[in-house]
Amino acid sequence: MDVFGSFALLLAFLCAGYAFVGGIFAIRTRHPLLVKSARQAGIATCGLIFLATASLVYLFFSDSYWVSYVVAHSNRDLATFYKIAALWSGQEGSLLFWSFLLAIYVFSVLLVYRNKNGELMPYVGVVLAGVQIFFLTLNNFVASPFKVLASTGANGTLEIFTRADGNGLTPLLQYPEMVIHPPNLYSGYTGFTIPFAFALGALLARYPGEKWIHLTRKWTMIAWCFQTMGILLGAHWAYAVLGWGGYWGWDPVENASLLPWLTGTAFLHSVMMQEKRGMMKVWNVWLVFTTFMLCILGTLLTRSGVVSSVHAFAQSSIGNYFVGFLLLIFAVCFVAYLKNRDYLKSENQLDSMVSRESSFLFNNLILLVSCIAVLSGTLFPVFSEWFSGSRISVGAPFFNKVNVPIGLLLLFLTGVGPLLAWRKTSTDSLKRNFGWPLVIGLLAGVVFFALGLREFFSLVCLILCVFVTSTIGMEFFRGARVIRSRSGASFLASAVDLTMRNTRRYGGYIVHMGMVLIFVGLAGAAFNRDAQKDMQPGSTLQIGGYKLLLQGFDSKVEKNYTSERMIVEVWRDNKPLMMLYPERRFFQTNEQSGTMVAIYSTLREDLYVVYAGQNPETQAPVVHAYLNPLVKWIWLGGLVVVLGTLVTLLPNRRAVLVLSGAPERAAQPASAQTLAPSVALREGHD
Amino acid sequence: MTKRRLAAFFLVIALSASSSALLSSHLQAQQADNRAKQIGGKFMCMCSCNQVLTQCNHVGCTTSASMLKHLDEAVARGESETEITSGFVQEFGTKVYAEPPKSGLSLVAWSLPTIYLLLGTLLVVFVIWKWRRVMPRAATVSAVRGISAQDLERARRRVTQETED
Repeated sequence: MDVFGSFALLLAFLCAGYAFVGGIFAIRTRHPLLVKSARQAGIATCGLIFLATASLVYLFFSDSYWVSYVVAHSNRDLATFYKIAALWSGQEGSLLFWSFLLAIYVFSVLLVYRNKNGELMPYVGVVLAGVQIFFLTLNNFVASPFKVLASTGANGTLEIFTRADGNGLTPLLQYPEMVIHPPNLYSGYTGFTIPFAFALGALLARYPGEKWIHLTRKWTMIAWCFQTMGILLGAHWAYAVLGWGGYWGWDPVENASLLPWLTGTAFLHSVMMQEKRGMMKVWNVWLVFTTFMLCILGTLLTRSGVVSSVHAFAQSSIGNYFVGFLLLIFAVCFVAYLKNRDYLKSENQLDSMVSRESSFLFNNLILLVSCIAVLSGTLFPVFSEWFSGSRISVGAPFFNKVNVPIGLLLLFLTGVGPLLAWRKTSTDSLKRNFGWPLVIGLLAGVVFFALGLREFFSLVCLILCVFVTSTIGMEFFRGARVIRSRSGASFLASAVDLTMRNTRRYGGYIVHMGMVLIFVGLAGAAFNRDAQKDMQPGSTLQIGGYKLLLQGFDSKVEKNYTSERMIVEVWRDNKPLMMLYPERRFFQTNEQSGTMVAIYSTLREDLYVVYAGQNPETQAPVVHAYLNPLVKWIWLGGLVVVLGTLVTLLPNRRAVLVLSGAPERAAQPASAQTLAPSVALREGHD
Repeated sequence: MTKRRLAAFFLVIALSASSSALLSSHLQAQQADNRAKQIGGKFMCMCSCNQVLTQCNHVGCTTSASMLKHLDEAVARGESETEITSGFVQEFGTKVYAEPPKSGLSLVAWSLPTIYLLLGTLLVVFVIWKWRRVMPRAATVSAVRGISAQDLERARRRVTQETED
């Protein structure tokens, strides 16, 4: 199967090469057969990548311990569930997985648009094939996952040998979320290739109008949604597995996933300026280019060892390939822009400073500043080493100080932007839209202050959350009230109807609401508390209103690990509340340990208990407990963001004109009205 | 005052004094703990986990344990934050900072986000100013009456496009 996989990858590389070169010839000659063959080569490339990936999965399931990658990342006792995750747990497999996800996107695009947009698609196909060639080069010649274990025999020939068992999967990855977090994140990274290919293709083809934006909107939304889910699942994994009580540590690899998300979010907003007003064409094209380049940069940071990170793959020279690819992409984009910049000329006109357009400009500014601040902070240790010879770390405190004010500005714009009118917002409209939300926000601030909330940024954040919620709520309320008055339906049904009539707008509001919930959760971080204590059975630890009583220990032997569990009884208000079982696992195969945190989660706070090991001096077991307020809101917010994104992807339900025969009216005189067929208004999906 | 009352009075004084001494030593220990936590939050753990020292929860991490012990001892000796910081930097190098110090080259890291924000804001304001057009005076009624059906349809299409979402 390893030979089959290698062969499939090699064939995929050749097919991608044909799709690229043939595509260029097809563009030049405009020969329909050549166009078709290039497209089919693209489809064949994807099919071959699917086969290669299936081969590697099969090698994992069949415990093929003569394949180096399988030996390094699996073992016989590894649960089936995690044998799938082993596919992307190392450098070689994750690069193949990248190619696989990219192939799904490319396959879908080539199939969906096979008979459409004939002028544009050959260009898009060439760009996609170009990106695939790069990754297939890595898969075939730099980091092949199908390398076998071989040694030189007595007669000097190479002999393949088989190991009895594998080294096993890293314990940190043996967690259910690790089976879904990387696919989501990678789907985000690879998904941004599609808008990139369409933007570059449209620029090269000088494709008229804003059609490429309409074509890619859904693809961009899908990629953005996956990226969002990937980031949040990663945060949840860090929270539930790493056992340090937090969910976001501003690690370089975490930052790398945030960068394209920030520019992608900026693009999703600014693209509306082009759709509505034909403005900012250059900006939008460069935002897409930048988003894709940041995806590649993120991969470079993760895989090259340029920055140190617990999440990074082993240090290797593969980073040089990514640097080369990044430079090549930039050069191609820059030359394409220089040669075709007149195609991007737009009528940039603004009627007023207080308008939707201005809010989008500021939204883009804030997102981009945040992106550049995170990027420069992430790379600062490298630069400091270049300039001064000593590496200066930039950790979480720096990023928090820089990004908290930026985040609050963004939250403010989330509330303000959507309610400003295109072109110009009148003073009356400002009063109508913002009067009540401002009053409600300020009142909430007074209440929070009276309740003893003194942490400045958290207070501002919560006030803004109330303000934004009010603006969104009022938008739904106003629209639903109109529908209700006409249809007589319930308020909830009217709100649903309103959403379905303009899914993009109201789905967007739902996404914003999800972001508000996430910000509520983030505001809680200022009030985190923790306590650590050496504990013996019978001893207690007090944290907030909770008392933790250590009842004892037990241990269990699982197939792949042994586990030691603390049995902790949680008391609140002098009443037993529940049992928690924080544990430490020892994985025999790779002789590594891991923690399993026990969390009692409510909307108010998380009680987070870690079995932190033994005190090196007393050998007593140590319990580290955290009380983290409002964390659950972050995960709920993530769900709402995903729900909102799905709503935006639905087609609008709109009023359609349905022609039907008019009933005869004998006494009515002939007129233009009766001669025309009557028109009935009916609701339906477009 | 009887002897018994006097004894009770001294007993209360003694109890109060001993309990306040106990309380104050407890408070001092708590203050020292808080101070160690606050200072420890400014250093990175050197076990390459890329986490802040006080947050490192690597299973079996001996580096953070010894660093925290070192920190606790320094705090107990009454060393100032500057002294503790310079001690850590001397031992581990500038990598130990959790955030860049606000001096020398590191000032660049601190000032860059503010510079980006200021320059960006100036740029956006400039762009808005440049793109703002002089609004024509409101059209007269007669001009509106003279609008062709074609122009009216085009205007309607544009209004729909601009206000749909």
